[in-house]
Amino acid sequence: MIDEAAARLVAERFGLDVGVHGPTVPPGRLLELARMLKDELGCGYLCYVTAAHFSEEKRGEETLPARFVVVYRVRNLDRNTEFPFRCEVPVEVGVPSLAHVWAGADWQEREAYDLVGPRFEGHPDLRRIMLPEDWVGHPLQRQYAIDTPHAPWR
Amino acid sequence: MEMTAPRSASATRALPRANPYLDIESYEAEGDLMVLNMGPQHPSTHGVLRLKLWLDGEQVVKAVPYLGYLHRGVEKLLEKLTYVMSTPIVDKNDYVSSMTNEIALCMAFEKLEGCEVPRRARYMRTIVAELQRVASHLLWLGTFALDMGGALGGGTSVFMYCFRERELILDLFEELTGARFHYHYHQVGGVRHDVPAGWDARVHEVAARIRERIPEYEQMLADNPIFLKRTRGIGRIDAGLAQELGLSGPNLRACGIPFDLRVLQPYAAYDEIDVRSVTAEGGDVLARYRVRVQEMEESLRIATTLIDGLPAGPIMGRKPIETPNAVRPPAGEAYVAIESPRGELGTWVVSDGSPKPYRCKIRPPSYHALSALPWLLPGTTIPDVVVILGSLDPIMGEADR
Amino acid sequence: MALKHKDDNYGHPTFEYVERILGVDVMLTKADDVLHWGAANSLWIFPMGTSCCAIELMAAAAARLDIDRIGTIIRGSPRQCDVMVIAGTITVKMAPRVKKLWDQMPEPKWAIAMGSCAISGDFYRDIYSVVPGVDTFMPVDVYVPGCPPGPDALIDGVKKLQEIIRARRAGGRPPREARPETAAQIRPAIRRLCDEDRDPAITAAQMKAVLEMDKGGAEREKA
Repeated sequence: MIDEAAARLVAERFGLDVGVHGPTVPPGRLLELARMLKDELGCGYLCYVTAAHFSEEKRGEETLPARFVVVYRVRNLDRNTEFPFRCEVPVEVGVPSLAHVWAGADWQEREAYDLVGPRFEGHPDLRRIMLPEDWVGHPLQRQYAIDTPHAPWR
Repeated sequence: MEMTAPRSASATRALPRANPYLDIESYEAEGDLMVLNMGPQHPSTHGVLRLKLWLDGEQVVKAVPYLGYLHRGVEKLLEKLTYVMSTPIVDKNDYVSSMTNEIALCMAFEKLEGCEVPRRARYMRTIVAELQRVASHLLWLGTFALDMGGALGGGTSVFMYCFRERELILDLFEELTGARFHYHYHQVGGVRHDVPAGWDARVHEVAARIRERIPEYEQMLADNPIFLKRTRGIGRIDAGLAQELGLSGPNLRACGIPFDLRVLQPYAAYDEIDVRSVTAEGGDVLARYRVRVQEMEESLRIATTLIDGLPAGPIMGRKPIETPNAVRPPAGEAYVAIESPRGELGTWVVSDGSPKPYRCKIRPPSYHALSALPWLLPGTTIPDVVVILGSLDPIMGEADR
Repeated sequence: MALKHKDDNYGHPTFEYVERILGVDVMLTKADDVLHWGAANSLWIFPMGTSCCAIELMAAAAARLDIDRIGTIIRGSPRQCDVMVIAGTITVKMAPRVKKLWDQMPEPKWAIAMGSCAISGDFYRDIYSVVPGVDTFMPVDVYVPGCPPGPDALIDGVKKLQEIIRARRAGGRPPREARPETAAQIRPAIRRLCDEDRDPAITAAQMKAVLEMDKGGAEREKA
């Protein structure tokens, strides 16, 4: 159930349509939105942060560049509501880290960085978490083959 | 606009937060500063977790967990398999509660495909999920007592008792599905096997036996002064931090927050039964223990009540699938969360209209529980590290995926 | 004094002397039997449990099917153990640790690969981070198939290992257990899951990184 108070405020201040899957926030205003959700609307529960990679595609006339969609979902446990929002960036551009807003975003963003690849700027400790430090590439990107060898073990 | 004050975060006094980003170079140790490596092969890390602990004398000043020793690329694999083939894959994620994994994935796919589940199948899902919760909590209790080790005068006795009861539930599942461990019982649109004859009577029998034994565990543990001394006030986490970290399930309910998806967002047949969500105050190891033990009784009650009122009807909501590639959900996305024994188990799935999911993210409660470790461990001692880690009930297969 | 017989094939003169004492040969034969019996019936297991199979390994040690009854004890340290039971998926990140722990175990030692992940990688075998079977980097004596194999299957596997040990001790050479059929199919690489999204640059970069890592190690040792 989407938090109506949050939806109203987002529409008011950011001029964004919330819809079913939440608004797409420009990376420049992500921190502002996060602070608003946590401090003003009491969304203290960070459900998850994840990302998806979309490779370059043609949609009609225009060509969309390869991009990451970083997806967030927060909850207000007192009202039993949730509020998803997302941020879309080209692959070269970083996303502001929310680790200083919600402490849990630290590990969530590390996982998203490790497996999918968006760089979170301002993250206190952006290291790989699942894969060894010397790994090349981010496995959940489209062009990464599932059976990539890793000598000498496979 | 009326807004209720955030009760949980402000009502309980926030504990002073440890600093997980402590710069160890500039730290001035009182005793000897020592680095201790724990795991990835360690009997009490509940799998292949590695902890790097900086110790000042016997006190932990900084803890850095290293994960990924069981990273099996499940999310990548789900992108490469069709919707029909995916269910048995997620069985192995949270390997002590396979049933709930399947339910989480199937419900996300059902939401995406707009598939209805018949009432009998929803009942069956709820029953097996609750039985699985009891089995999972029993396993947790046994291994947790094993972690406490010698303090309980030979910790293996509770372990042995818990496994004895757990085997009873596994026998029920084996009768129902033919498998002891990884069931592949659920599928999109319903469940695969109907109830065998006499199964409901045996559920009652098993429930009665476990119910009469839970007080025995309470006697062994909660009446034991050493156990109380090692758990009370240890590993306290305040409600605000627990929310920020996304803790869920018994770990969050032990902080006094009644966050239970079975109650708040009823799925399957939970809307037809009155679920009492168990909470405890304190947010320490003892509170987590209390929540889990009481939840077992509650789960047994739900399972036995539902099996008495099991409605007649089909167990599958759609026709059998002949070609997996023919299942093409419309483009879109869905997030579905259920209450697994460890907490909120969610699946976020994106479809692009092809027979395979474009992206499938599993939100594992264990990963979130483990992310509390750098906050919880500083200030404790080595024996407490094992107890705190055990009390969070992490399953590495699920955390690493 | 008694060292006259050159044709004796015992290497040590003391043995020869001792053996000549009346009745000792009978006793030695008995001692040998005791050794065989002891080696086979007191296998201490080192649980290299990583995932699902580790739970079944615990179940084997627990109340219903007590694995202690056949003389095995589960110990947490590799230095005390005879048998390593690899229970669960071994990933690229974990494999060096498994190898290290295996090397730390004293001889004589045996290994049991429990479950299809340890045998062949199961359906994870095509995934970038999973080792397709532990026998790619260490010897395995007994394979216990299943996903996961039940505790009874594990006990059967331990009994099989006991048979092998008895046969070897008695001087025989029991044939090494062949890899199960499913595992044989995957090497050389017959991929079940071919990936059309492949970017050869990533594969090349991965290989290059590994090669450079080795070179770096060698250079470090020199310096």
